Amino acid sequence: MIEINNISKRYGSFQVLTDCTTSVAKGEVVVVCGPSGSGKSTLIKTINGLEPIDKGDIRVNGQSVGGRGTDQSKLRSKVGMVFQNFELFPHLSVLENLTIAQIRVLKRSSDEANACGLKYLKRVGLEAHAAKYPGQLSGGQQQRAAIARALCMDPICMLFDEPTSALDPEMVNEVLDVMVELASEGTTMMCVTHEMGFARKVADRVIFMDHGEILEDTSKEEFFGNTDARTDRAKQFLARILHH
Amino acid sequence: MGSTYKWNWGIFLDPVSTGEPATYLDWLLAGLQNTVVLALASSAIALVLGVAMGIMRCAPNRWLAAIGALYVALFRNVPVIVQLFAWYFVVPEILPVHMGTWIKELPSMTQMMALSTMCLGLYMAARVCEHIRAGLGTLPRGQRFAATALGLTLFQAYRYVLLPVALRVAIPPLTSELINVFKNSAVVSTIGLLDLSAQSQQLAEYTGQPYEAFLAATLVYIVINWIVMVIMHRVERKVRLPGYIGSK
Amino acid sequence: MDILHAISNSLPALADGMVITLQITAVSVVAGIAWGAALAVMRLSPVKPLAWFSQAYVMLVRSVPLVMVLLWFFLMVPQLIQGLFGLSPRTDVRLVSAMVAFSLFEAAYYSEIIRAGVQAVSRGQLAAASALGMSYLMAMRLIVLPQAMRAAVPALLTQGIVLFQDTSLVYVIGLADFFRTSKNVADRDGTTVAMILFAGAVYLAISLLASGAVKVLQRGKKSFELI
Repeated sequence: MIEINNISKRYGSFQVLTDCTTSVAKGEVVVVCGPSGSGKSTLIKTINGLEPIDKGDIRVNGQSVGGRGTDQSKLRSKVGMVFQNFELFPHLSVLENLTIAQIRVLKRSSDEANACGLKYLKRVGLEAHAAKYPGQLSGGQQQRAAIARALCMDPICMLFDEPTSALDPEMVNEVLDVMVELASEGTTMMCVTHEMGFARKVADRVIFMDHGEILEDTSKEEFFGNTDARTDRAKQFLARILHH
Repeated sequence: MGSTYKWNWGIFLDPVSTGEPATYLDWLLAGLQNTVVLALASSAIALVLGVAMGIMRCAPNRWLAAIGALYVALFRNVPVIVQLFAWYFVVPEILPVHMGTWIKELPSMTQMMALSTMCLGLYMAARVCEHIRAGLGTLPRGQRFAATALGLTLFQAYRYVLLPVALRVAIPPLTSELINVFKNSAVVSTIGLLDLSAQSQQLAEYTGQPYEAFLAATLVYIVINWIVMVIMHRVERKVRLPGYIGSK
Repeated sequence: MDILHAISNSLPALADGMVITLQITAVSVVAGIAWGAALAVMRLSPVKPLAWFSQAYVMLVRSVPLVMVLLWFFLMVPQLIQGLFGLSPRTDVRLVSAMVAFSLFEAAYYSEIIRAGVQAVSRGQLAAASALGMSYLMAMRLIVLPQAMRAAVPALLTQGIVLFQDTSLVYVIGLADFFRTSKNVADRDGTTVAMILFAGAVYLAISLLASGAVKVLQRGKKSFELI
């Protein structure tokens, strides 16, 4: 479904990603972890072309991201993305947030879009808030709405960029529950996250990054179970993060 | 239109048709001199008065703060040309008789320059006041307490602790005001003071070559703008506080 | 009182002058914001020549006095209009040249206000819109500009009040706006002091009222702030 081949990227003189290669198969759930500044957010943003790459190639469902023949807008509409800061559109109601791209990008009728929007709001438990504005919702509610917004586009895969990092602790679980449900339904997912509990529960594979390189790319069992076989930096990271 | 207009850049070197021993370029330069003198003199007044007003607006004393607020409200909400006419036509009449007469008996040029400087200075002071107030507002409240706790009087606190930082913070908006005063000075042409813009109009009338006249004046204003920005940029870099927010 | 009589007798003329002032203000605010918004979008566009043009335009306009701009357009507009439409009455030409001058001049200031508004919108908003498949222009139009404009409204209105006061400078091209009319009346009746003070009071009152209205508007506007 997603193929990342030897990609590299720099910001000015700073090498953000160095020769990264990995893939995500259909129905797989991949968690990407690592210390801050490791490039994991940048990696996930290259998949839908929000961050351009300098070298290498990325393919989503066979189509090259950033390739000349590719309709960027169409590709992005098929790859769902959830942001750390939710990024709901504050000047639109919750329902309008879910329907605007359906209507403008997918060219659905407003009846279709509203029906779909309400359906997904119900799934994430927010149908009572459809007419409210993002400013009136809590962080957890906003993020669940953001997930619904991405789902309304009927994406072929979902990308999560630290979806719970900006949330107060008591709201983290309501969002993780939605993500666990999605995983159990067979959604192809790639998540950048610090939530190792979530990773242990639903991930198929775990990728560990540091300083722009992919250092570990193994199954969940291998990553958490066989810690001796891990690289030193991964071991350090696990030791620190699993202390909580 | 363009085909019928005859460009003649040589007019600047032509002697003026009024018979005085000057070229049109001399006229333009005389205008430039007036503009620069006006702008600098007004800025000096505005800086002193504006800083004083800015401090007054931050004063804990309600009356002082109110006076400052009234001053700003008055001088920012009346157009500058109206203020200029007020200085030139109204002030000499409403002052005590001997002062009014003294003003009216000044040589015309001096009278216009003095009144224009007062007008532009007080107008600019209202804006400087607001920038200083904003600059003082960026300082943590504890700064004043720390200064007075050391035994400094309020005046000393402002002079040695608060103003030095507030002024640095205010350099960008103050630079804008310095640029503005050069532009606002053009209004004095309406009372007959021959600044750069007035001279460009004179040239246009006397030579029949308005495009060259206006282009020359416009170019000079643009160059003045650029010079002010370069100088203020240097000033800002020179007084920058290492590590302070806003400095690179 | 003589002075009050003098003023009340001239009210029709003064009212006409105020109409001119308000006409210039209204047209220039609308045209200035429209052109200013276009300039702002150009300045932020990835197309380099557009960005460069916008930046040069704003820098140029902001370094020249409004008096010179008015003189320039009073010089050029009549010829342009005569070229396009044939001869037209002289007073209309002054008004039109003033409106053109103010619109083009103020647009530079409006574009800076709008640009600041756009830059204040979090970059994540553009990313989120892109992630949903919106093109750059669609994202700007539907997501970024609406938020930017709402944030910029107080500053735009304040600039409008500045414009209202600046219209008095049409004195230099002899257009009979409110101030010029006041002066004309003063010269005719010999009531210079009173008329200047009266004109000043009128501008003061209108500007203060308008500023007060903007402040009230700002207070009722917090609805779009996220927690």
